[in-house]
Amino acid sequence: MNVANKKYIRQLSMKSMKAARTRNLIAILAIALTALLFTSLFTVLLSINHSVQQANFRQTGGWAHGTFKYLTHEQFDEIKTDPLINQYGLRRFVGTPDGVPFNKSHVEIGYSDAMQAHWMYCNPGEGRLPAEGTNEAATDTRVLELLGIEPVLGNKFTMTFDVDGIEITETFVLSGWWKYDEAIVANHVLIPHSRAQAIFDQVGIGSGIGKDGMTGSWNMDVMLGSSLHIEQDLNEILTNYGYQNESRSLGDNYIQIGVNWGYTGSQLADNIDPITVIAIIGLLLIIVFTGYLIIYNVFQISVSNDIRFYGLLKTIGTTGRQLRRIIRQQALVLSIIGIPLGLLTGYWIGIKLTPVILSRLNGVVEDAVSASPLIFIGSALFALFTVMISCRRPGRMAARVSPIEAVRYSEGTAYNKTIRKAQSGASLPGMAWANLGRNRSKTAITVASLSLAVLLLNMTVTFTNGFDMDKYLANVVSDFIVADSSYFQTGNFWGGDRALSEEVLSSLESQSGVEAGGRVYGKSSPVEEFVTEDYYRALYGKWNDKEALDRAVTFTEKNEEGLLAERVQLYGMERYVLDKLRVLQGDLSKLHEPGGRYVAAVYSDDDYGNAKMDSHWAKLGDTVTLRYVEKYEYYDPKSGKILDPDNIPDDQPYRHRAKNYQDIDYQVAALIIIPHSLSYRYYGTDEFIMNDQRFIQDSGTSNIMYYACDVSDERTGDMEAFLYDLTNKQMPQLDYESKSTYAAEFDSFRNMFLMLGGVLSFIIGLVGVLNFLNAILTGIITRRRELAMLQSIGMTGKQLKAMLTWEGLYYALGAVAVSLLLSIAAGPLLSNVLASMFWFFTYRFTVLPILSVAPIFTVLGIVVPLTVYRVVSKRSVVERLRETE
Amino acid sequence: MTILQTRNLKKIYGAGENAVHALAGVNLQVEKGEFVAVVGTSGSGKSTLLHMLGGLDRPTNGTVTVDGKDIFSLKDEELTIFRRRKIGFVFQNYNLVPVLNVYENIVLPIQLDGNSPDAAYVESIIETLGLKSKLQNLPNNLSGGQQQRVAIARALAAKPAIILADEPTGNLDSKTSQDVLGLLKITSQKFVQTIVMITHNEEIAQLADRIVRIEDGLIVAR
Ligand SMILES: Nc1ncnc2c1ncn2[C@@H]1O[C@H](COP(=O)(O)OP(=O)(O)O)[C@@H](O)[C@H]1O
Ligand SMILES: [Mg+2]
Repeated sequence: MNVANKKYIRQLSMKSMKAARTRNLIAILAIALTALLFTSLFTVLLSINHSVQQANFRQTGGWAHGTFKYLTHEQFDEIKTDPLINQYGLRRFVGTPDGVPFNKSHVEIGYSDAMQAHWMYCNPGEGRLPAEGTNEAATDTRVLELLGIEPVLGNKFTMTFDVDGIEITETFVLSGWWKYDEAIVANHVLIPHSRAQAIFDQVGIGSGIGKDGMTGSWNMDVMLGSSLHIEQDLNEILTNYGYQNESRSLGDNYIQIGVNWGYTGSQLADNIDPITVIAIIGLLLIIVFTGYLIIYNVFQISVSNDIRFYGLLKTIGTTGRQLRRIIRQQALVLSIIGIPLGLLTGYWIGIKLTPVILSRLNGVVEDAVSASPLIFIGSALFALFTVMISCRRPGRMAARVSPIEAVRYSEGTAYNKTIRKAQSGASLPGMAWANLGRNRSKTAITVASLSLAVLLLNMTVTFTNGFDMDKYLANVVSDFIVADSSYFQTGNFWGGDRALSEEVLSSLESQSGVEAGGRVYGKSSPVEEFVTEDYYRALYGKWNDKEALDRAVTFTEKNEEGLLAERVQLYGMERYVLDKLRVLQGDLSKLHEPGGRYVAAVYSDDDYGNAKMDSHWAKLGDTVTLRYVEKYEYYDPKSGKILDPDNIPDDQPYRHRAKNYQDIDYQVAALIIIPHSLSYRYYGTDEFIMNDQRFIQDSGTSNIMYYACDVSDERTGDMEAFLYDLTNKQMPQLDYESKSTYAAEFDSFRNMFLMLGGVLSFIIGLVGVLNFLNAILTGIITRRRELAMLQSIGMTGKQLKAMLTWEGLYYALGAVAVSLLLSIAAGPLLSNVLASMFWFFTYRFTVLPILSVAPIFTVLGIVVPLTVYRVVSKRSVVERLRETE
Repeated sequence: MTILQTRNLKKIYGAGENAVHALAGVNLQVEKGEFVAVVGTSGSGKSTLLHMLGGLDRPTNGTVTVDGKDIFSLKDEELTIFRRRKIGFVFQNYNLVPVLNVYENIVLPIQLDGNSPDAAYVESIIETLGLKSKLQNLPNNLSGGQQQRVAIARALAAKPAIILADEPTGNLDSKTSQDVLGLLKITSQKFVQTIVMITHNEEIAQLADRIVRIEDGLIVAR
């Protein structure tokens, strides 16, 4: 094809496009809606990814790609010029205050250059970073609050802190401050380099590095070209200058590096969850399908209406390829208008939806909406892809047209029907039905497009309806649980130092409305059990290879019978909590007695409540020997030499064994399952339960892990208010959980799905309605003459409208019927899939959404044809009859 | 007996400078059972006259009386109902409903009126027009002549007072035209059917009982 030819085709394509205004409008809307769906999906996805990453950065303390740690000044200057490093920042650690009021917080005093401070979230909202040569300092509102200093620039504050083992007291002038962010672990007090150096000189470090190997050293945070292979890049940089990161013992050229796991962590998280991946692919397919249904339909209808025109073009010598090109060009032009429109609105919707989802993800900041160009590029490509596959068949149809057939063609001869059996004559509904048969693919696709939205809505409701609160709360057996906040936080391990005080307990126990309650004492000193080698190997075989396992078996402490020592977690429970346990075998009555030495072995279960009988080794009636260790000793496994516990070399393997201890025998009186909400809440070692007195007596400790209670219904609100006040104002280190917070959490979880599904169904519904509108519109417009003729032979306006309304109703109610049938048919399958994916799911059949959509569709089925006809019938019958095709 | 009468019938399309006087004051009278041919050059106002006679459009001025009824005194819906009872149309391009078969097309006006067709009468029309073997066919696989015969059958089926035919043979070759016109003539006699037929073909017009000549919206001679 030569150039002039191409130009001619383009002109032709543009000309014929101008003639199809309504088609263009609807196609643009369809393309825009498709792009919109893609964009909102990508916005939500990338925003979640982005904010998970942000949360990780806050946890790691910054977003630099990586760190070279504990450098000398010379090493710093040497490495910083490496071409792999895009940007670098310097930090020199000075010291930490540990006395009151900083005993509960992690505060660091140090020098950071502007770049490094920025990467650590130390961006003064008020004022600026400290200036060199002054006694200025900048910090966050939390540190100021602890110091009791107003956040006013120029205020003086004094801090006492430990610099490499030497206590120092300094006074600073506030040069700037930023808002405290509780997600960030460390609080910083930033001082100028000159001041830091002065302090180093004062404690005798000078330009060297302190005894702790850290104070005074130069740390370099770096940004690399990409976050994809940080560790590799850092090592490459080290190698460039003859350094290594293998082992300190290999020589002086060892440099420690740190990789920001915020980058790797979040990528990994996205890659591993197959349900999420399947859900995303499913959504993408649904969107492509939705877009395909309407865009294909619009083009298919438009081509079949213009078939004479294409036939004419063929008669005068246009090739099939050229005709396909015409269609493709039109689709492209429409995409150029439609896609940007969809990108913008889709992004807007995505931004609105993101917080709804983010609020469901624990510990994730809510303002993190991604504006990554990937969103727009990806959505545009997907939308374009959808458009291109949608206009392929219509293009082929135009290309295949035979010039002779085209002249005879009118809607209704697309299929080879020559005979119609009806003999009784035609009724209005009958005629309407026959009219739908004229372009069967149009009818089928329009109905499918409408059904898709209804089906999705019904699935959403079925899904969220199946969220079974009873199942979900099955593990929440107490109305309230109060504990140190660390107990409730995932990733935090409760330790004996976070116990509830007697004072708090007596105030809790004396609250009115408490019907029953109990304390649970938790581990605070090391306790060991003795297990067989087989059990030990089974336990650790999951995470270790054979070699490591052998080594562990060899070096682990053993008792006289040759059994291996293994840590256990103990609970000391009061009667109220004991009674909440699920007994698998035996009974708890022996544990109720204060005197006896009985324990219950804790087994675990799966999400569906099925006990895993291999999750513990202890059987009913077994005797369990527990070793309460007072003191361990550390030794070198090679030489057998005892090591000084305060000075253990960190690059050598060492082992420990109990030195002072007491062994006590217990009988296993019951095998039980502990509800998750009453457990330690993390996967640990084997667990045993005894009653509270036994625990206090044998372990010699009485640290209360939590207090659980049931409260009378009318007092629940009061208790909630009391605990809220207690844990938020009076004792913020405490936290609580209530059945109602679980219930609320569950509700908001369900509502999130309901809302997302609702929005998706609504937009897909819009697409369906648009498709329907187009089908009706083109159906009436192409039949203008025919309808006028019907009127000329005596069809009244009323009868005509009735016929058109029937057509509309067939579409709309057809969609309802199709989705009803599919929902009923797909019900059992859906129920199995969902129940296996969500343990708290109980399938409840419903078609209520479909039935409630039915009236809306009925109205649409009536209103759309009538409105369209009103517009068409503005012209008189004669005018319409005179129209030449 | 006069079945159709127009008085000073005028139709002006557009306004001012662009005004087209399609009918400039037509007075026409047709007797029951008469077969009248209206002839004139293209654009002389023949179709406009026919549309007025059938009540498809309202005149600018003047009246049309069908079977003693001033049709433009009726409201739109009433006029449509009057039309399907009293007037049968035959168009140049047949205008059949493509999704209905031949039989359904023929009885459509009767059914639209909510009546069941007079089976014997419809039978005899079908017989006369030679459509017996095609009743279940869809219009698209009939020849032009066959389609026009279906259109005539449809016009006859409701036993209208008048059949109005606008160039019924315009799309047909001369042999088929002769056949269709012959049938029209026969039905006119057999069913005592009043027919007003438009044509610009003098030869065809000769078949009619009477020829009316129209020029620039006016009847020029009887
Ligand atoms: N709907 C209309 N709008 C404007 N002008 C019209 C319309 N219908 C007919 N005319 C004009 O009226 C005149 C008569 O037309 P018509 O009755 O169709 O003529 P004929 O059927 O004799 O060929 C013509 O000049 C035509 O252009
Ligand atoms: Mg004419």
